[in-house]
Amino acid sequence: MKKIIFYFILTSLVFGETKKWDAHSAYLLPQKRWEMGLFQPFRYGYSESIEYSVHPLWFFVMPNLSIKKSQSDFAGFTSASQYKMVYPTPFLNMIAKEGTMGIIAPEFRMPPMLGLSASWLMSKTIFPFVSPYSLIGLDLTLKVGLDLGVTFGDLDTRSTIDIPLVYHRLGVYYNKWGIHTGLDVQKNISEKIGVLVDFDLRLLPGLGEVQIDPDASKLMGEYSLEHKFLLIWNKSENFRVLTGYKFVMGEYPYGSDMRLLPYIPMAETWVPIIEFQWARKKR
Amino acid sequence: MKKSISILGVLLILGCNDPFVTVFEDSSDAVMYDANSKSDATYDSGGVKVVTWNIRFGIARFPFFGDSCGDDVILDDATIEGNMAAIADYLHVMDADIVLLQEVDVSSKRTGYMDQVQYLLDNTNLNYGCYASMWKADFIPSDGIGRIDAGNAILSKWPIETAERIQLSLRDDQDDLTQYFYLRRNIIKAKIPALTQGTQDFYAVDIHATAFATDDTKQKHIDKYVETLAEIHAGGDGDLFVTGGDLNSVPPGSKYDYCLQDMCPGEKYKDENENEIDYHSIDSLTGGPHKEGSYFNNFVGEREILVPLYEAYDAAIDTASYNLPEHFTHAPSTSLIDDSTATMYDRKLDCLFTNGTWSSGSEQTHQATWELSDHLPVSAVLNLGGE
Repeated sequence: MKKIIFYFILTSLVFGETKKWDAHSAYLLPQKRWEMGLFQPFRYGYSESIEYSVHPLWFFVMPNLSIKKSQSDFAGFTSASQYKMVYPTPFLNMIAKEGTMGIIAPEFRMPPMLGLSASWLMSKTIFPFVSPYSLIGLDLTLKVGLDLGVTFGDLDTRSTIDIPLVYHRLGVYYNKWGIHTGLDVQKNISEKIGVLVDFDLRLLPGLGEVQIDPDASKLMGEYSLEHKFLLIWNKSENFRVLTGYKFVMGEYPYGSDMRLLPYIPMAETWVPIIEFQWARKKR
Repeated sequence: MKKSISILGVLLILGCNDPFVTVFEDSSDAVMYDANSKSDATYDSGGVKVVTWNIRFGIARFPFFGDSCGDDVILDDATIEGNMAAIADYLHVMDADIVLLQEVDVSSKRTGYMDQVQYLLDNTNLNYGCYASMWKADFIPSDGIGRIDAGNAILSKWPIETAERIQLSLRDDQDDLTQYFYLRRNIIKAKIPALTQGTQDFYAVDIHATAFATDDTKQKHIDKYVETLAEIHAGGDGDLFVTGGDLNSVPPGSKYDYCLQDMCPGEKYKDENENEIDYHSIDSLTGGPHKEGSYFNNFVGEREILVPLYEAYDAAIDTASYNLPEHFTHAPSTSLIDDSTATMYDRKLDCLFTNGTWSSGSEQTHQATWELSDHLPVSAVLNLGGE
């Protein structure tokens, strides 16, 4: 009996809980299942305890890789650690150019830069009760992590891209480090329909002290808060459609700003997110 | 709960999304400013010194990609602060009473988000200001420009009661996408009650007309300017104005073709198919194609476009002087390619007019400031208060 209990505990330590369609939670993909979306990375359940993900379209201009590893349960939460690595330099140098789509001024050359990120994820189903067709409750995920921006050369502080979503993600290279934390809540409201609400906070502590000239408010913008609401239609376990919005507010070199996304500039209007996601299990 | 969610939803959709690119009504309010610390602002009934100056957003002769032969876009903060301090010092030394500014940045990536209107108010003896954007966008996805808010401003020692932003026509020689992200030039009309003369209200009017249009957009801009001034002149008991700006037009009788001297080394004209052609190589009648902004004979009448202004109003630099080299106000930064052959100024684009009278001999083109901008300030003293 003791052996059985020991084996059960050991298994739970090594093999975390798996779940489909839960990219931002501590649950890993079932082994050999892959999922991908129009705007989401390709994820693959390598084993019961390890999941890989990569943005395939970005990969060739911005090499990136993420590994999620299950960890032992903590305070009743299913737990996982996640490690990300990204090398944005080739892409940033592609858009540092003259003319249309010159997002960064052409006089700047971005040095080799490596983004490293480590996160701790904890998930739990709260208020569970059993319905005729499934377990229904709120899937809660808490996460916190550290970001490091390693640069191998001079990075000019004027080369920032001062727009929501982008500024604080790249800000880690100018500030050298940052913190991120967040909360996700997912709930199935019927067999096919679910909702996802999340809040993410990114902090770049001390960014204001890095700036060249304090009077010119150059590298201001120590925080951004992102919130997303998605309505999810699960057509099957292999395909789903999501729609909703993303809201971002934060502090930027030019001051505070907030925006509802996606936003179509020429039409000057917000449009809903439309996301398609596919999945299969490798035989 | 549902009501709260609905309200939140409406707020999110309507409340937090300012336009990505700001467009303007034909008439709208200008943005008002005042100095953090004001100097003595009592009008003492003497003459009023008026200055017009295109300050090139404080980048002096920096080789900016847009209007010179440079490739650079973003200047460093220290240099911008130094340039702005020099401009403020010069305005202070001139003891200007009213300043008509063009190309002022208030929140632009290219100039470190410095609010240059506020800076000049806080570092001169000018106390009040108004500002109207000509280019305001969250992000210009071209040449690394990024966020931009640049425009015209009027600074005054005395309070500005009202300030109207008057929209000028957009260029018609651009495709929709380019036009969407492009400049929206304007006139600012500001009322300064302290200078009211009896029943005559007093206005300062500032314009920055199109530089690079190759169609008749410039004619529309000058027409609107003339119309605006005529309305003031005819309003009330014949209200008073001082006006000026960067008209991007040469005086009648001036040389009008600067294509070859403005040309950057090796530069070619690019046609609609991106074929490179030598300037002046095709059209035997006009010597085209021409370099945008360097040719002042794009349409019939362009060379005489300022005649109505010179005929109707008192020009600070009058018709006898406006084509003299000592009153040239501009040379593009092409001149700095070779220091030994630098051309500091070679044409007049900046003017001052009034429907009152300028004090004889007070007019001046400040050519000593040529290193502070690619335009030079023009000043004159308005006769006012019975002088």
